[in-house]
Amino acid sequence: MKKYFAFLVVICLLVAWPVAAAYAHGVDITYGSTSAIQLTAKYDTGEPVSEGDVVIYAPNEPATPWSTGKSDENGSFTFTPDPALQGTWDVQVRKAGHGGMVHIPVEGSAVQSVSTGFTTAQVVIMSASVIWGLVGTALYFSRRKS
Amino acid sequence: MHIPDGILPTAVCLGGYATAGAATWYSLRKINQSENPREGIPRASLLTAAFLVASWVHIPVPPASVHLLLNGLLGAVLGFYAFPAILIGLFFQAVMFQHGGLTTLGINATIIGVSAILAHLVFQIRKLFGPDNRTATGIFGFLAGASGIALAAVAVFALLVTTIPANIDVEAERTAIGILTIAHIPLMLLEGVFTALVVLFLIRVKPELLEGK
Repeated sequence: MKKYFAFLVVICLLVAWPVAAAYAHGVDITYGSTSAIQLTAKYDTGEPVSEGDVVIYAPNEPATPWSTGKSDENGSFTFTPDPALQGTWDVQVRKAGHGGMVHIPVEGSAVQSVSTGFTTAQVVIMSASVIWGLVGTALYFSRRKS
Repeated sequence: MHIPDGILPTAVCLGGYATAGAATWYSLRKINQSENPREGIPRASLLTAAFLVASWVHIPVPPASVHLLLNGLLGAVLGFYAFPAILIGLFFQAVMFQHGGLTTLGINATIIGVSAILAHLVFQIRKLFGPDNRTATGIFGFLAGASGIALAAVAVFALLVTTIPANIDVEAERTAIGILTIAHIPLMLLEGVFTALVVLFLIRVKPELLEGK
């Protein structure tokens, strides 16, 4: 009798196990915070690169894209880098043969905010210097021979 | 019109440097063969400055935006001096404004510079119509300015369309490149008119400034 009972229990367990797994009513949700990276791509006219192709390269695979996506109409794109892959993430945004690449250093959980490009004042000063150099060259070569 | 870093495959960038090197050598040889090679340097230098800042002049052509290039004008006025002038201008644009890039300097110089030299050859056709034919100067000035843009735009279009990487949305990228190329048609007309006005002005006030006059 005891033997039959044990056999019955085993049968019940075997039948119920997959059923219990498939029809479990409890849902276990875990959560944790992760740091996502938001980037915004703009042309040098200030217009956003809307619907631009975004290609993300992980630090360990600089040649093969880790993920791809599209920026929204404001040129923004958000992605969450794999925290296990420490180093510099390269993100390229391109549209119609125009585009740029930003190098995002991910060290620990801290991500430094980076930006490419110079300020307007820097660009004006650099342009003025080069133009002055070119005008100077023109004046030098057009001077009268004494 | 300026292709930035990271868009083209390495082989194309290297090929661009090779063609730019050859074109620089040929231009310098042509300049050296002229009577007084130093004579053209002042105007080449001034037009390099104009070329450098021209790319800041953006013209909105919805939905895209294009900028002045002036390669046709440089070709018409400078002749073979246009190539080194454009090479120097592109170098400064790449390092200072991140407009274009150092890896693509060769290919950009080839596209924009060779278009300029072809525009120069177009402008030379005016000589067939007599030495002081203002109408022919105006017409071929327009054609030189317009062809500079047209040739460069077609070359950029062909290069970009054939090198779209497979990991992005190829169809959308092709459409976007097509739209941008078509947006250069108004620019082509604008630079044609501008070049015609400049050469007509020069022929009136200082005809010796025009290359091959």
